[in-house]
Amino acid sequence: MRTGVWLHGDSLSNQDPARKKYAEGPSVFVFDRPFLEKAGLSFKRIFFLYESAMEAVDELRVGETVEEILDWAGREQLVRLAVTESPSPRWREMVEQLKQKVEVEVVKAEEMVTVPEGYRVKRFTSFWKDLGNEWS
Amino acid sequence: MILPKFTGSRDEQARSLASVMEGLYGEKTAEARVSVYVGGRTAGLEALERFRVQGYAGTRNKLKGGVSRLSFYIRHGVLGIREVAESVRERFGKSYDSGKFWQELGWRQFWRHLYSVWGDGVYEDREVAKVPLGSGGEKELPAEIMEGRTGLVCMDETVRELVETGYIHNHARMWFASFVVHFRKLSWKAGERFFYQHLLDGDPASNALSWQWVASTFSHRPYLFNRENIQENGGREWCERCTAKCPFDGTYPDLERRLFSK
Repeated sequence: MRTGVWLHGDSLSNQDPARKKYAEGPSVFVFDRPFLEKAGLSFKRIFFLYESAMEAVDELRVGETVEEILDWAGREQLVRLAVTESPSPRWREMVEQLKQKVEVEVVKAEEMVTVPEGYRVKRFTSFWKDLGNEWS
Repeated sequence: MILPKFTGSRDEQARSLASVMEGLYGEKTAEARVSVYVGGRTAGLEALERFRVQGYAGTRNKLKGGVSRLSFYIRHGVLGIREVAESVRERFGKSYDSGKFWQELGWRQFWRHLYSVWGDGVYEDREVAKVPLGSGGEKELPAEIMEGRTGLVCMDETVRELVETGYIHNHARMWFASFVVHFRKLSWKAGERFFYQHLLDGDPASNALSWQWVASTFSHRPYLFNRENIQENGGREWCERCTAKCPFDGTYPDLERRLFSK
């Protein structure tokens, strides 16, 4: 089973959990054209991401992310993709779209604290009091 | 489209990338520049190794204090947040300084948690404002603010550093946000967008909710600062060069009366 790793803007490292789990597999990062056309990020931000991605992945692309990943996965003859979890709603949509076409494994991110399922709080003081014990 | 891994110096790589990605960033291609802060894990690990936590708690609010400048590496997962926290624990152990540093990392975890719950709801007022705000109609900040031409040296220098480097100290972010939202009565969303476009560590939840924290739509009260606060934490140099009538000069009760009386 050949698994490729998609690294995104929250996970640009060869120490990313999905990357570590499938260290032998190929990896890709995509600059999402529709997002960039809207966001108007400064070139400094783009270049910082580029430098980070250059070290972290085998292949960099620019375009519509889902299309680019599927094209890459086809060329690499991948049967599965692995990606580290992100809180971004856009990322969730992309994962759902990818799942229509290819098997996707979502790997848990390495957090500093464990947030229990269903936990809700509005202020940092409570959050840290409840969950930050390891770090006090 | 496959993006080449360009070779050569940083500037050469940047010119090649700027040309290939023309139209996908805010500046004109001829004006595209790189930051002094270098991306990638090699640079991130070097920055982590350079960081010393001793003195962090006492100096972190000063513009020249011992802050880590690791935020952009953590934001993009170049360094793991747990990896950074554990590095400080292994090298420096538990201390008041370490605890303060971990708490600041904890804020990032808090924003991330709220983003996973609220999603794009971070871009809407989370609570009713506790003080009168502007009408909120602006899509972007006035050019004089974004170009650092207000005549207020502290604000103009903050913008200059942000645009040139992609980074400013957290305290400078708070002052600038308070200036935009409370002194100029402009929309926090316009300020949020400006920061997001430029900050190397720009993160939807951290950025939007921090602006809301200043505005009081995600806090119990608005964040205000005065000239004394700037001089205490940023030094006197800005004020000494400034010839403008200072809108920040006054006690907090004075400023509250001036800014929030209907």
